[in-house]
Amino acid sequence: MNNNKPKIGVYVCHCGVNIAKTVDIEAVRSYAESLPYVKVARNYSYMCSDPGQLLIKEDIAEEGLNRIVVASCSPRMHELTFRKTLAEGGLNPYYLEMANIREQCSWVHEDSEEATSKARKLVAAAVAKARLLEPLEEKEVEVEPATLIIGGGIAGIQAALDIAGAGFKVYVVEKTPSVGGKMSQLDKTFPTLDCSACILTPKMVDVASHPNIELLTYSQVEDVQGYVGNFEVKVRKKARYVDIDKCTGCGICAQECRLAGRIPSEYEAGIGKRGAIYLPFPQAVPAKFTIDPESCLYLTRGKCGKEPKCVEHCSLGAIDFEQQDEFVEFKVGAIIVATGYDVFDASRKPEYGYQDYDNVLTSLELERLVSASGPTGGEIVLGKGEEAFVPKEVAFIQCVGSRDASCGNEYCSRVCCMYTAKLAHLIKEKVPDSNVRVYYMDVRAFGKGFEEFYDRVRREGVRYIRGNPSEVFKRDGKLVVKAEDTLTAKPLEDEVDMVVLSVGLEPRKDTREIIDLLRLSQSSDRFYLEAHPKLAPVDTATDGVYLAGCAQGPKDIPDTVAQAKGAASSALILLASGKVNIQAQISVVNEATCRGCGYCVEICPYGAIEMGEVNRFGHIVSVAKVNEALCKGCGACVAGCFSGSIQQKSFKDRQILPQIAVLGVVK
Amino acid sequence: MVDLEKLRNAAKEIVSQDDVKYLIGWRDGTFGFRISPHFMESPEEADKLIFSPLCTNNLATYLTMAEKLPIPRGEEPDRRKVAVMVKGCDSRAVVQQLVEQGTNREEVYIIGCPCEGVVDIKKIEKKFPDVLESVEARWENGQIVLKLPGGEQSFPREEVLAQKCLTCRYPNPVLADTVLWDEVEVLGVEEYEDVKELEGMDSKERWAYWQDKISNCIRCYSCRNVCPMCYCEDCVLERLNPTWMFRSVNVAENTAYQLARAFHLAGRCIECGECERVCPVDIPLMKLNRKLYKEVQEDFQFEPGLDPESKPLQASYRPDDKEDFIL
Repeated sequence: MNNNKPKIGVYVCHCGVNIAKTVDIEAVRSYAESLPYVKVARNYSYMCSDPGQLLIKEDIAEEGLNRIVVASCSPRMHELTFRKTLAEGGLNPYYLEMANIREQCSWVHEDSEEATSKARKLVAAAVAKARLLEPLEEKEVEVEPATLIIGGGIAGIQAALDIAGAGFKVYVVEKTPSVGGKMSQLDKTFPTLDCSACILTPKMVDVASHPNIELLTYSQVEDVQGYVGNFEVKVRKKARYVDIDKCTGCGICAQECRLAGRIPSEYEAGIGKRGAIYLPFPQAVPAKFTIDPESCLYLTRGKCGKEPKCVEHCSLGAIDFEQQDEFVEFKVGAIIVATGYDVFDASRKPEYGYQDYDNVLTSLELERLVSASGPTGGEIVLGKGEEAFVPKEVAFIQCVGSRDASCGNEYCSRVCCMYTAKLAHLIKEKVPDSNVRVYYMDVRAFGKGFEEFYDRVRREGVRYIRGNPSEVFKRDGKLVVKAEDTLTAKPLEDEVDMVVLSVGLEPRKDTREIIDLLRLSQSSDRFYLEAHPKLAPVDTATDGVYLAGCAQGPKDIPDTVAQAKGAASSALILLASGKVNIQAQISVVNEATCRGCGYCVEICPYGAIEMGEVNRFGHIVSVAKVNEALCKGCGACVAGCFSGSIQQKSFKDRQILPQIAVLGVVK
Repeated sequence: MVDLEKLRNAAKEIVSQDDVKYLIGWRDGTFGFRISPHFMESPEEADKLIFSPLCTNNLATYLTMAEKLPIPRGEEPDRRKVAVMVKGCDSRAVVQQLVEQGTNREEVYIIGCPCEGVVDIKKIEKKFPDVLESVEARWENGQIVLKLPGGEQSFPREEVLAQKCLTCRYPNPVLADTVLWDEVEVLGVEEYEDVKELEGMDSKERWAYWQDKISNCIRCYSCRNVCPMCYCEDCVLERLNPTWMFRSVNVAENTAYQLARAFHLAGRCIECGECERVCPVDIPLMKLNRKLYKEVQEDFQFEPGLDPESKPLQASYRPDDKEDFIL
């Protein structure tokens, strides 16, 4: 094909009425026809349709076109579609330039004349650039058939089981000593009231025993290098101070520990206690004990009686205070981030008295209180010893830390309405003569079986009072909830025995660490940002990294499992195909003019540039080198280069400056 | 106290070292108040070295300016050190070059000369316009003594020192392999009075002010060539494809050039004032540079050329960086 002289075809799309309603398509088309190097200019109702694409292919064959300009929607929508069209027509797909006359023109303007004039300019600019386009080549790299899953909650477990089940290797890295995550702390699940542990523990056991899954508990991802298909991962296995191979999980050490029952248990949300050596919960996987280095007397003070009790009583000699952190390195092709969430810290709403009054609980604490495996064996009892009593008057306050701009969380946490209903039901079940009321703003019962469950709970006698309490205080030894019933406009002062704060879900405190590790983005709610809210909800801007569960935003268990399966399927597509195409529109360095200052190395968010050496007439000088597999074509290095020695393919200065000139000057 | 004998002895010793290629210092010029750079390859040339209030030139420029002639096949490039004499401001230029990898730490030997301030030649030449003989000068008790043909005359600092020296906060080298004499007292305080004066104007007045100055620019590129921070192999402002800036000398293109130059120096200019000194048409270039210096300092708490281990401003990022300039 003769590529020397540009022969440009311009295709103006009506997009039904999306564009045609505001822009005079025929005027744009005939204008395009008059532009230099334009051989053909056509319009069509939907360029992205098969007949539309056929127009382009036919013209390439018959008119010998070698550059194509499509004036339609944003390239984010259909650039790939038309690139494929060009390839099918026998042209290099990068000979395509799109003029966005929909999102940037017809949708944002009302005046037809002005919009048409702008569409003309956009088309002329695209033609000016199309003339200067160069053919590019997409390269292919192999994919390492393994996946890293960060987080061993229900999302991580489900994704791991799916991928391992398909026959690929999975590494699950969990920060805490056991997999299971927040779901393992729950008593029952709404709306079906299944026992949370009963449905979760079989999956936990499966994860531990699956031949394709390597479980790294009490571990943290330290470093991730590389790119889609070829990530190099470094994991720190924190010292447990217990030899896993010797520990049988008998638990004598925990009984004997001098601190037994004196340290707040993370699993029991702080209302139960554990020792310095502990198993997070009876069904923990792996069922191996761990010494908490922050509380253990021997590790913090170097002395624990004559001899640490655990060492004394472990007949297998599994305690090893000399143990050091270990590092494991491996390669994976895909990464799933399933790091979950943090529960909102109720002390950030001081008006509810969470820090001041014993009988103000968070919902997670109540969850442990009603659980048969919890510290009270499932009996709802407040206070200790002689002061113990069964609360009869119970108030729930919803939306604590959700839908609340004052604490920075404008979003709905999506689970609180239903877990509140569930907990209210459980209280009514265990204390039938109790009075339970729920202070709410709106009840959102949108899921399958949710509305029915909400109705059922109300039929059971739980009162729903619409109003957001302003304060919880103590009067004569009783808790008082101060609120306004907004349906009757009556101020209330409600004396109760127990207040339960239905706390929302928040991004984890260590969100930033994962962002730095994997170069992810955050949405405005501070959860990880997906690549597209609707059409790519589990993908991220970093190729080969996927999201599952509450790391992406609050969700309930069914949604989390569904998303985990989605993330697993995305990862499997990559692993199963075994190959991945890498960006063609990447940066290139002009080694003759590069001054070797290394600014681009620091600027590159993907670590794709490093300094290398070239021989310049006998002088060894350092110049920037782009790793083609890592470069995403973001162009940050181009903007940062003083000498203009880095250029991005398809967006070179000499390609886009004429385009800008046309936009600025031509009427 | 400046001690010429000590300086010359040190220079002799340094230049005799096997790993030193040559030494760059100052020597008397050929007329008036001008002095010359002195490139010294052997110890015999040490007696010409001087250090006086006339040593305005920033010699760090020559580190990057050295021509890299093609090396015949089979021969190794000469990687021996270049020794360079630096004042406080010049040392910051070397540090910034190190940060930008324009200079290699192993290939430079820094001779620090704590400095009490150098003269503004334009100020002196106004006082003594017709001096043709080479003039010597020295610091004495906080005064500048000039050895003029008609006898010695001394002046208070404020009268003859360059503006940059009056506000200088780094008269002592920030990085040096050897420091020749005791550090001097820091007398300068930076208050950006000249910049604030411009900031106080409204945009029309300011535009008129700069138009007036910049329309004089003859685009000799002296400011760029003398700048120790401008050392691209191929200056982007001179390229023809794409043409960022036309070569025609008019207000529009001159402004484009001067603004591009100033912006390329944002967070990099170390205030040696060489651009303004060499400008043949007296454009107050340091006002532009210092405006950006001030912005960078206020917005990012950053000063260039102080720590060779620091990251360059344009290539470092903090999540709490100001973004209010983004529309």
